[in-house]
Parts: sequence; structure tokens; C-alpha cells
Amino acid sequence: MGIIIGIFEEGMIYAILALGVLITYRILDFPDLTVDSSFPLGAAVSAILTVNGMNPLLTLPIAALAGAVSGLVTGLIHVKCHVRDLLSGIITMTGLYSINLRIAGRANLPFFNMETLFDNGFTTSFPTFLQPYSKMIVVLIVLLLVKLLLDLFMKTKAGFLLRAVGDNQTVVTTLAKDSGLIKIEGLVIANALVALAGAVMAQKNRVFDISMGTGAIVFGLAAVIIGMNLFKNISFIKGTTAAIVGSIIYKACVAAALSMGLVPQDLKLITAVLFLLILVLGGVHKKKVKFRA
Amino acid sequence: MKKQLLSLLVVLVLVLSLTSIAGAEAQKTYTIGIAQFAEHPSLDNCRIGFIEGLAEAGYVEGENVTYVVQNAQTDMGLAQQIAAQMAQECDLVCAIATPMAQAAFNACMDSGKPVIYTAVSDPVGSMLANAEGKSDKAITGSCDLLPVEAQLKMIRAILPEAKKIGILYTTSETNSESQLKLYQETAAAYDFEIVASGISTGADIPLALDTLLPQVDCMTNLTDNTVVSYLAVVLDKTNAASKPVFGSEIEQVKNGCLASEGVEYLSLGKETGALAAQVLEGTFAGDIAFVSSEGGDMCYNSEVAAQLNITIPEAEAARGVDVTKE
Repeated sequence: MGIIIGIFEEGMIYAILALGVLITYRILDFPDLTVDSSFPLGAAVSAILTVNGMNPLLTLPIAALAGAVSGLVTGLIHVKCHVRDLLSGIITMTGLYSINLRIAGRANLPFFNMETLFDNGFTTSFPTFLQPYSKMIVVLIVLLLVKLLLDLFMKTKAGFLLRAVGDNQTVVTTLAKDSGLIKIEGLVIANALVALAGAVMAQKNRVFDISMGTGAIVFGLAAVIIGMNLFKNISFIKGTTAAIVGSIIYKACVAAALSMGLVPQDLKLITAVLFLLILVLGGVHKKKVKFRA
Repeated sequence: MKKQLLSLLVVLVLVLSLTSIAGAEAQKTYTIGIAQFAEHPSLDNCRIGFIEGLAEAGYVEGENVTYVVQNAQTDMGLAQQIAAQMAQECDLVCAIATPMAQAAFNACMDSGKPVIYTAVSDPVGSMLANAEGKSDKAITGSCDLLPVEAQLKMIRAILPEAKKIGILYTTSETNSESQLKLYQETAAAYDFEIVASGISTGADIPLALDTLLPQVDCMTNLTDNTVVSYLAVVLDKTNAASKPVFGSEIEQVKNGCLASEGVEYLSLGKETGALAAQVLEGTFAGDIAFVSSEGGDMCYNSEVAAQLNITIPEAEAARGVDVTKE
């Protein structure tokens, strides 16, 4: 049972990151590599503020704000300096590495003996039978909040425009809207979510580490694509739900590979095979359904 | 179809987890998790030593101990997941290297399982132990802080003319940060100057060395996971420049470093195994202060010395071990 709880804890935190990647990759059609650094950026901000005595919950919006700024930088580099999408993400990602080190002051910042988002008066007040699930419940609350807000946003005019930019820029221009600005807006929201995920992850692990973002974008892309692929024939499933499920399935695959008790070297291969199996089995029907955000 | 597939997956994971629990109960043996952060000879020796140390104390694999070995391959996310899984499945978790130790400590804090760490250079700075070396949580282990003084003394003996020592370190490893600080503080006493160059990934090493090597007389390694993993790349560049590299442990000397006065990870692992045995016998892990490597095992590579036209002074050669003659 512990393993299942672990899958959901990890999967749902990374799902917040996957929601960010959903916006850039799936909606804006923008391969945003900023993610590899905005994820640890959120963690660094949350960790250093927690170490300095701030309420862990308050660190989350500040971390998200820091992430938003990183998205803004990528957006400005892309739109205003006319740098290609991939490269503008790479530039921000590279620079942020040093900034993250500066923010945290060191490469690895633990806060084991502090109150965290998952270990405070609120979680200890849960009845005993709920205690094993307390982390999962906290993550679920954060994730649901993010998902609902994002779903609501997508229904507003700004949300429609965001989707239009990825699908057909001409439509946006004919509506007399600046597609560049909308792209920047998407990047800001996406990286705010990614940094939020990093902050929650740092709170759960009680440590910030500079290398925790390595491979974050790979994870996000895989989660989004697995999710979209599984639900592509079920039209009432929203993109956000698909990304969340994809993220949990990703973590379940890793956990399954770990549980098989094979040689550690084979772990990633087994994980890869599981992904492939899910993608192939999930893509049996060829009927094309329009994406719903 | 999709729902079936999903439920199939959940069932698969459930069954797997159940079988592992059932298996442990039926045999009435200890399940010990060994979580290793990266794969290179130093850390591998820790693992081998740990298993030997436990075997010497009567905990033998296949008889009363089952080992679950996992390697995070330097992936932080994977390290967390391995730690979380071991915190559930195992009776005791041995975590090798700082990031793994922190992950295991965090995961086991809730389940209360004891954590024994090794290859951690700064347990106090990494918040794994308090200033007395103990903890109020179930954790203890061993520290691989380099015998920096001894190493500098040895470099001075082998290279009497040298002035500047180059050190390559990964900015993301706290181990390296604390070791580098120690070198910078101690170097002046032996009339050396430290020139440090920080890298962020292994891919930065060739360029960093191109800049660093012309400025220095020799190099010395920390127990930096990235640099040690890329030792072949380092040696390729230094050999081309005919500058010696001093290792931080014997495996590096076997692989082409000139000499080292470093940590002997096999015996460090054995000591760690002995700690684990104490904990299995009922001692609260937090009450045991962490142990430090004694170091002082000087070793050198005579073939490398010949290639570089360096003579190892007799006094050094007499107290050390020539790794080519084993």
C-alpha cells in the first residue's frame, strides 16, 4: 500500500509540472526547456524562505511568482529578441542554474528539522487513520486547486486566445490581438506552475538540490503525451486531467520497474518498455478527436 | 479498454508490492535496502564493504539477510522514489552518497526505519547529524572526509617544486564544496595555492581543463561524483599536458592517477556494515555518532610515475603501496 501512496504523492506533485508543460507544449506548441531550471528555481525559493522562518504555505505563491518571472524572460527573449523557441528556453535554463545557486546559497539546502507544508499543525491534526495519507491529501488539495483554476482560466476570453495562438496565429492577428504577448502570457503561467511543483517537491523532500530539475522537461513531455494518448478517444476528458493521469502513470511505471527487483542497470530500460507498451496499447483506435483544454 | 488497462496496471503494482512483503515475512530474514546514488568504483566499494561488514557481524546474504540494491544513476527524482519504496519494504536502509542519504532520511522519517549512510563528506552540513554527530531520528553512518593535510603533505614530498594545485569540482555537489573549502584553508601551510574550477556537468570537463591546466603544476581530485565518473577524460587531458593528477582514493590510482592519500572505501563500507549490525541488534541508530574514515592509506602508481618522469621519493614509496604490483 505504501508504494501506491508513494506513486500518487510523487505523481501528483509532478502533475503540477505536467500542467505547465501542457500549456507550453500542447497548447502553445512551444518546446519550453526553461522547465529544467524553473522547477529547481521554485524549490530554491521555497527552501531558502522556509529556512529563514517563513510559513511554508506562503513560500508557494512566492515560488510560483519567481517561476512566472523566468517564463517572462524566456517569452521576452523569444518574442522581443526573435530568438528561436528552443534556444530561448535553453538560454534561460542555462542562466537560471547560476541564479538558483545564488538564491539557495549552496548546491544542496536541507531543512529537515523545520515545519514543512507536509509536517505542520494542519497535517498532525488529521485523525490517525488518515495519517499515512496526509501528504497525499495535501498534494491533492494543491493539485485540484491548480487544475480547477486552470480549467476556469481556459474558459475565459484570455484562455481561448491562448489556445488560438497554438492552433492558428492568423486568427489571433485578425482579432487584432498581439500573438506575441499571448505567447509570453502562456510561458508565464506555465513556468509559474512548474516552479510551484518544484516548491511542493522541495517541501516534501525537505531539501533543495540544484540537480533536481535535470530531466524535468523530459518527464513533463512524457506525462503529457502518455496522458493525451490514453484519452484521445474520450472526448469529455480534459487535457488537464489527461496530463495528471499521465504523470501518475509515469511514476507507476518507474515504481513497477523498481518493484520487479531486477538489476539496477536495467531499471530505465524496463521503464521505457512500460511507456512504449502503454502508448501502443493506448493508441489502438485511430479515431481522431479534437483536443479539449 | 483504457480503464481495463489502467486497472491492470494498478493490480500489477499491487501484486508486486504484496509479493515482496509476503516474501519477507515467510523467511523471517532482514530485508536491507542499499540505495546508491551513482555508479563509480568508490561508491561500489562502499556497497561491497557494507555487505562484507554485515557478513562479519553474522548477517549473511541468503541466510538471514536479503538485499534490495538500487542505483539512482544520479537522477534526483529516481533517488526520491527509490528511498520512498525502500522506506516501506526494508527493515534498514543503507544510503550511499549525500543526495541519497538525504532522500532516505526524509523518506524514513515517517516510517521510522533506520538509515545508515556512507560516503557523506559533511553529515553535519547536510543536516544528517547534529553537532555531536548523533541525531534524534533513527540515522547514523560514516563520513568520507578526505585526509586533506596528509594529501597535501604527500604532494609536497613528491613534487617539491610545485606551487599551484588545480581542483576540478561540480558546483552541484555539497561534498565537493566542503572539501574544497578545507583544501583552500590548509593549502597555505604547505606553501601551495589552490586554483579551483567549477563545472556543472561532466560535459564541461574538457573545456574547464583546457583553461585550468596551463595555470597549475598538478591536479588533485576531491571525492566529486561527476569528476570521478569522468576520470578517463581528466587523465586524457592531463597526460597530454604531462601534469600529474593525485587521486582521492585507491581506485583512481589504479585507473591512472599518480598517487593518493585518500579514503579507503572498502574499509569505510565495512565500518558502516558494523554500524548497521549494531542497529539490527537493537541500538537506536540516532544514539550512535557517525564514524569518519581514518584514511592514511598511501598508494601510488609506478607506471604513471615513469610516464611522467617523476620519481616517488623513497620515504613515500616505502610507506605506500604500488598499485601496479598487486
